Amino acid sequence: MAQIEIRDLGIDYRKPKSNEVFSAVDNVELSIEKGEFVTIVGSSGCGKSTLLMAVAGLVNLSRGSIKIDGKQVTGPGPDRAVVFQEASLLPWRSVRGNVKFGLEMQRWNGGDLNERAMQMIRLVGLSRFSDYHPHQLSGGMRQRVNIARALAVDPDVLLMDEPFGALDAQTREIMGTELLRIWERHKKTALFVTHDIDEAIFLADKIVVMGRNPGHIKEVIKVDLPRPRDEAILDSDDFHSLRKRLRAHLAEDMSSMQLVKEVA
Amino acid sequence: MADMTAETTATRQVSFSALRPSREAVVGTLAVLAFLVLWQIAPSMGWVNGRFTSRPTEVFFAAIDVFRKDDFLFHARISLTEFVAGFALAIIVSIPLGVLLGTSKIARYLIDPPLMALYIAPTLVLLPIMVIWLGIDMAPKIAVVFLGAVFPIVLNTMAGMSEADPRFLRMARSFGATKLDIFMRVLVPGSLPALLTGIRLAVGRAVLGVIVGELFVSQAGIGYQINLYGSAMRIDRLLVYVLIVSAFGYTLTILVRSVENRIRDWRSK
Ligand SMILES: Nc1ncnc2c1ncn2[C@@H]1O[C@H](COP(=O)(O)OP(=O)(O)OP(=O)(O)O)[C@@H](O)[C@H]1O
Ligand SMILES: [Mg+2]
Repeated sequence: MAQIEIRDLGIDYRKPKSNEVFSAVDNVELSIEKGEFVTIVGSSGCGKSTLLMAVAGLVNLSRGSIKIDGKQVTGPGPDRAVVFQEASLLPWRSVRGNVKFGLEMQRWNGGDLNERAMQMIRLVGLSRFSDYHPHQLSGGMRQRVNIARALAVDPDVLLMDEPFGALDAQTREIMGTELLRIWERHKKTALFVTHDIDEAIFLADKIVVMGRNPGHIKEVIKVDLPRPRDEAILDSDDFHSLRKRLRAHLAEDMSSMQLVKEVA
Repeated sequence: MADMTAETTATRQVSFSALRPSREAVVGTLAVLAFLVLWQIAPSMGWVNGRFTSRPTEVFFAAIDVFRKDDFLFHARISLTEFVAGFALAIIVSIPLGVLLGTSKIARYLIDPPLMALYIAPTLVLLPIMVIWLGIDMAPKIAVVFLGAVFPIVLNTMAGMSEADPRFLRMARSFGATKLDIFMRVLVPGSLPALLTGIRLAVGRAVLGVIVGELFVSQAGIGYQINLYGSAMRIDRLLVYVLIVSAFGYTLTILVRSVENRIRDWRSK
């Protein structure tokens, strides 16, 4: 059995200022193996974050089930950690303090906790900045802290919601490569939401393409590019054909969006 | 690497310029000096009646008199006691109340409107009632200080708690934080600056409460002295007391503000 089993998942939200309910995500079936790196792409508003937050245990399911290692997800747990789109660093804590946050919540004891935090800060290359506060860091550095905080609690599954979404293209590429380097060392199961097609291919063992109205899975694409990967792979033929395929998918979605706009 | 050097120099520049007199400070000092000179010569030039305005030199000598033989310490101790007692009571009551209101929506819906009304109403109008209830000793003044100080602290603590960034709450929950964890490690540190803002606003209102309270009903205290010298037309001594009061309020406010700024900068942990 796969590590993560999502069966017939549906999540409804209430529309603001009315009692109308709509499905943000519906009929989602997905299996993820242990140690697999899965990226999720799809146009804005198709329910990517909702799906990820459901696996995190941060939203209530309306239908279906999510199981991790055979156990039903009913809320957040130490087997999962989330890297949020906005770094969500506590501004009154230093880099070290922020990385310690999850460890404190999971009741690690003092000595281990400090050592573990420093180790994670080293891992993301921020040793010299451990006493800095978030407002003294660049966007890329904040996302490193965000990742270190999630890795620190040693989760089995790492859930990442567009962690590099707010970064410039170059920083984004560097962060992606580094994330792979870290992931290859620890082989955690990873679920990674992104808007960026290249990023989706570069990182993934498997790409989940989502469509909208309601959010559903259109296709799951296996990526058989060899690992370890570096930027050279971006120019390979396999990469090109994957990119073409994904583009076509997303363009389809875009044109249907256009249509909605014109009708309205 | 390059980032970091830039960062450090920037920080240094800021701290150096804090030591060097800024343009603002120089202009401010000059303005005060000019005012003092004008004030000094105005009565001799016949622009104003010196009996009503006094002079800086007279005020200066009056200050020496006040500190030497005017029972200054006796009166100051009474006013200070009223201030400290009222303020301490306000803090003891307002912080838990602010926390309750900030964390419970129901409590907020229930108590927010009357609280706002009391905050906006000048609490000094309650002084006559306080006198009827509590006599003319320190008690009514303590009550007025309390009433003046309590609302800004409650309202700011409440705002600080209830306006916590929902992203922080979600982040904390994702790591399995309990309600108590969220309170202690997200809500409390996050609302500290707002609490201090409340305390700073409360200082001004509390000082006002003591002095006005004493102006109206008392047999001792700084406000009593101000009243006394006012009716005796001793403008010089009256001004000495006024200056003492504003120096006291100003110093306290600056103190709280500096703590506030340090925390708001998030440099402290
Ligand atoms: N808490 C909520 N209450 C009501 N509706 C919500 C809530 N969160 C999300 N939605 C709605 O659910 C749908 C899916 O949102 P979601 O954030 O999952 O999309 P997304 O694919 O992550 O989009 P993006 O790429 O822009 O981040 C949207 O229509 C959104 O308006
Ligand atoms: Mg999203």
